[in-house]
Amino acid sequence: MSDHFSGPRALADPAADISDVFAFPAPGNPQRLVLAMDVFGKAGPSAVFSNAVIYRFRLRRASIAASGPGGSSFAVGTEEITFDFTFDVPDGANDTARPPQRGHCLTPGGETVSFYTNDENGGQGPGVHVFAGQRSEPFFLDVRMIEKTVATRQIAFKKVGSDTLYGTNVLSIVLEVEWAKLLDGWPMFAIVCETLRAGPQPTRIERVGRPEIKNVSLSFKMFDQVNRDLEIRDLYNSEDAFALTPDYVGAYRARMNANLSFWDSLDGKIDWPLDEAANHPLTKLLLADFLVVDASKPFHETSYFEIEQAMLVGRPHATAGGRWLNEDVMDFIFTLYINGGNGPRISDGIDAPIVWSSTVFPYLAPPNLPKVQSS
Amino acid sequence: MIGILDAKQATRASGTNPAVATHGAIALLNLEAQIEGLEPNATSSRLGVEERVWLIDLLALRGSILSRIADYERALELSRLLVRDATTEAAAFLARARTRAVFHRFRDALDDLDAAERLAADTESVDRERAAVFQGLGRYQEACAIREKDVRRCPSFESLGALTTLCAERGDTERAERLHAESVRRYRGVSPLPLATLDFQLGVMWMHEGQLDRAQDHLIAARRYVPAYAPAQGHFAEVEAELSHFDLAIALLIPLAATSDDPDYAAQLARICADAGYPDDARYWRERAAARYAELIAVHPEAFADHAAEFWLAAGGDPRKALPLARMNLEIRKTPRACSLLSRAIAADEAAGAWCVPQPNRRNPRLQQQTKGACNDSTGD
Repeated sequence: MSDHFSGPRALADPAADISDVFAFPAPGNPQRLVLAMDVFGKAGPSAVFSNAVIYRFRLRRASIAASGPGGSSFAVGTEEITFDFTFDVPDGANDTARPPQRGHCLTPGGETVSFYTNDENGGQGPGVHVFAGQRSEPFFLDVRMIEKTVATRQIAFKKVGSDTLYGTNVLSIVLEVEWAKLLDGWPMFAIVCETLRAGPQPTRIERVGRPEIKNVSLSFKMFDQVNRDLEIRDLYNSEDAFALTPDYVGAYRARMNANLSFWDSLDGKIDWPLDEAANHPLTKLLLADFLVVDASKPFHETSYFEIEQAMLVGRPHATAGGRWLNEDVMDFIFTLYINGGNGPRISDGIDAPIVWSSTVFPYLAPPNLPKVQSS
Repeated sequence: MIGILDAKQATRASGTNPAVATHGAIALLNLEAQIEGLEPNATSSRLGVEERVWLIDLLALRGSILSRIADYERALELSRLLVRDATTEAAAFLARARTRAVFHRFRDALDDLDAAERLAADTESVDRERAAVFQGLGRYQEACAIREKDVRRCPSFESLGALTTLCAERGDTERAERLHAESVRRYRGVSPLPLATLDFQLGVMWMHEGQLDRAQDHLIAARRYVPAYAPAQGHFAEVEAELSHFDLAIALLIPLAATSDDPDYAAQLARICADAGYPDDARYWRERAAARYAELIAVHPEAFADHAAEFWLAAGGDPRKALPLARMNLEIRKTPRACSLLSRAIAADEAAGAWCVPQPNRRNPRLQQQTKGACNDSTGD
């Protein structure tokens, strides 16, 4: 039997699969900006980072280029700073579960901050504090009811939902920096996280900025009248978030317009009328698929998309934007997409993760015990 | 033992240019972690069909890398439960087809693929699974037609790799090597597991061709990607034994035979210990293998008929037990190797009969004819 094999399946390395990105001013310390990247959803206790992957935070200067319902957009500078995290093969990886793994953060200044995973004190360098290790999954949602909503084309969320990620863990990388020392002190950042295959010519594996762009917003094919058969996400992943390939933007736009229109139709009224070119008002902003955080504004627990919403109505934003760990971002997205805030909050019936993240470094809660997940 | 292998790896594989990949030890830890993360809810509604299929495939993958029959059995059981729970989901039938094919239940697998097709599964996905079953059955031309069409449609690592394994099994060595190189060139992932399995397939191909140097190169490459890759280690040991490096072969096989629930390692170890002049050790491992083969034949006769027959023809030393198993194997899969196995079993049975109970007329023309007819029916080559 050991000889019988039908062919290789290109199993993606789960340690290169980004699940979420967060960006927020450090609560209680507005001089510092916190960035976090989660990979390896539903990680078991053995999970470790790949030694063949570069985990990259990319930051550029962002500013508001245009406001108003028809044409809100950001201007993103060309100058870029990156923080690259890499990991060694764990000591004794062949022998023990959860062996200690050494990680390294290469800063824009060329300094390397080394640390061991799962050490809550992390590693520190000039103006930089880093952590990496297994943590409790901060995200929460009811995937089954999302699937049912799409399949039945009716809102299927229950008053009390079932958290698909309850009690699960992720591998997290947390980076805390003094933002005034970056990009000449400019406070508004466009942030995207990437995983890249290491080597002489690093190749992008995945990129993530905003939450639920690839799944809730882009994955469904059936509403797209232009590319009904196209699995668009692999192509989308390979793109530079700050410079989409012009040849493919039309395909992303068509898919996004179609799916956003589907979500808008679910309450029986149109809250997001399409423009004369049949574009959804959110499409352009969402395809600018990076988190925008204004570090000069105060930390707020529910600040995701607040900058963009302010832009859409032509008012100054009041919060730092970005994305905080504990925000119920699914409820926000459903409400935004379905009624544009012109109706009651749309809840998926899941209002919290198994444990809240903390307001102190490394912010994400310690990992759950394996038995919790099945309870 | 490791020192010897490391030195050999450094010299023999120095000319190759492996793809950038996650270290094999990390890949296995993370495979374990994926399974750990999904198993607690393996049959609950918290996992969707897609994740349940994923878990089944991960278990089968771990089974293939670490030679764990228990993993294959768990995958088979989970696929049965998945079909029970998701009777309208084509993906469930596709997953069960894959696990049934692992246990050489090829007819059942084809039935599942038909069911998936009726549930509007994507035609190309069904065809790819059919090709794997056809390959197992020895229906190489049909398998090849699908694989080549897949490569023409999308020449990716996956499609080229699948065609590589088919060519390797058919002994089309030149094409297999060429496809392998092209497949690796197109690899965009970082997992070393698909890369290791391809090198392993080519190593086995060269073993069957009797080109041990080339077999070693690929088996070393497979183990460089994944040091704990059990079948690669086991086959590497076989090559070393062929080269009369008995002590090294034994050292490589003992940890596998002692820990694996696959009796192939104990069977090989018994044979090599006998060849090396260690009769007591040979007897110990022979008894251990025999007991385990008996257990497995009782539960999964189709899957282990060929390996058990090989065992009884070699270290097991009882050709009469081999013959019905070899015959069963040929009924299941009309591959050239199944034909060869039955021919050898018949010859050994006759020789054993002639030696044990002298019977000049023991040769059975009807059986000989039966074998010849079955092999002529094969569509392979």
